[in-house]
Amino acid sequence: MLILAMNPVAVAGGLFGPPQTISQEAGGLNTAIGYRYHEDTYRNHADYVLRQNQLYSQVAYGASNRWEIYGRIGLSDLQISDAFRSTDVSTTTSKDHFEENWKFFGTLGAKGFYPINNIFGVGAFLQGSYTFGKFTDETTGRHNTTPFTADLEVKNLWDVNFGIGFQATVPFGIKLYGGPYVYYAEADTRFSDNIPGRPFGTQKTLLRNKSAAGGYLGADIPLAKGFRLNIEGQYTGRFSVGSAITYTY
Amino acid sequence: MRYYVSLIILFIMLSAVHAPVHCVAAEPEQASTDAVSSQAVLPVQTGDAPAKSPTQPTDVVSDEYDEEEDFDYEDEPFAEERVTIADPIEPFNRAMHRVNDRMYFWLLKPVAQGYKTVVPEPARISVKNFFSNMGYPARFLSCLLQSDFSGAAVETGRFTINTLWGIGGLMDPAAGKSLDLQKQDTDLGQTLGVYGVGHGLYIVWPFFGPSSPRDSVSIVGNQLLYPLSYFYPWYVSPGVLGFEAINATSLRIGEYESLIGAAIDPYVAMRNAYIQYRMKAVNARKAKSLLLKNPEASNTVVDTSRTEK
Repeated sequence: MLILAMNPVAVAGGLFGPPQTISQEAGGLNTAIGYRYHEDTYRNHADYVLRQNQLYSQVAYGASNRWEIYGRIGLSDLQISDAFRSTDVSTTTSKDHFEENWKFFGTLGAKGFYPINNIFGVGAFLQGSYTFGKFTDETTGRHNTTPFTADLEVKNLWDVNFGIGFQATVPFGIKLYGGPYVYYAEADTRFSDNIPGRPFGTQKTLLRNKSAAGGYLGADIPLAKGFRLNIEGQYTGRFSVGSAITYTY
Repeated sequence: MRYYVSLIILFIMLSAVHAPVHCVAAEPEQASTDAVSSQAVLPVQTGDAPAKSPTQPTDVVSDEYDEEEDFDYEDEPFAEERVTIADPIEPFNRAMHRVNDRMYFWLLKPVAQGYKTVVPEPARISVKNFFSNMGYPARFLSCLLQSDFSGAAVETGRFTINTLWGIGGLMDPAAGKSLDLQKQDTDLGQTLGVYGVGHGLYIVWPFFGPSSPRDSVSIVGNQLLYPLSYFYPWYVSPGVLGFEAINATSLRIGEYESLIGAAIDPYVAMRNAYIQYRMKAVNARKAKSLLLKNPEASNTVVDTSRTEK
């Protein structure tokens, strides 16, 4: 199986997908597995770039070519650039970036579609994600001559997205789509120790998304035997790219 | 003259009546003796005449019976292959059969009925699909050992598709019309059967039910290859397996009752059903085996290569 990961720059819990459901008109399930490289800038006094690799499985139910509800469960890692970098020259740390491996996340979403004619249509979606558990990473270093070890904890990472999508169905059943969206995302961070010059302290620090809006563009391509390939890019100041292979029951 | 004609007709009628009485009385006795003494499954082709042993006395009477038996079997050209199995520990087996029977009616069935009431059928089928998907390693290995490489590929395709697009195996899209990748219903016991290993004798295990030494290998092997057997702590796995049994039972309540309800001796009916089912399964697997389905063909290939050299 081929999962496409494009240029590694890019945002939250998976792709938005085409505005129109791919489920049978009479109503039915569709499932997907997907990968998404997500990148976004979060802010609290300073900017931090969060990067995630997300692997997920989706189940959706749609009908009438008009609406769909879906849920996803997946695994995601987390990297926060410069989370350990100290601005104090007397403090050195063993590494600059926060990195933690796979944690579960869940996504719920719904979308509706209104066909304008046989080719064009317009729709809207609402999608939210939450990462379960907490990401932790440890750094060691020295403040003046005193060695230290400290953990950084990131938890309650969640986001909610609302967007409008325009869709064009071109020959071979390929659906091209795109549109604007707004979103909100946040995460709680906490250090186990206060070290001068480091961005996060022992008190809880809330990181929020720097941008509030973005755009997305994608294609949904029929393959064979009920499978489809969905490729999508999202932009919110940084790029996210992902791909999913869906199967319609 | 009339008197003589009537006498001849009466003689013919008496002969016709006499023959079946003899066959019915003689044949089961011989089959039973063979089964116990050989300690192995004995396939009996009812469509063919029994092979004569060279040591058997060839008297006129036995020849006459052979002819009559031939005549009788010809009346059933489409009769199914029958097999029997040695059952030297029948008292133990009957006791275990009773235990399993009581366990079914007193515990498993009531629990399964309650479960069935609460959980809708689509959900129970999904649970069954999930457990079936977990049985992939055993089926895959069995296909490989049987040199059914096509079956192994189908199983791998099924597992991949059902795990990824079937929500972890809860759905079975692979068996749908478009993909048509059907489950390879095989196990390690059938693998031994494909290699020509006989059943040995009939054993009824408590909880596991009808089996044989050969198929007991399957019980052990399939458990070892079953990922859900490796849960920690130890009591989780039996709990999961118990749930699987309840779920499976909820989907076939009434089948066991039908089988034993129609039988004069439920134990014998169960034994026969089991042995017939396994024989058919092994034969089906043999037909799919690349190397074992036709040993004569394999020999021919070897001979040909020798000739070429």
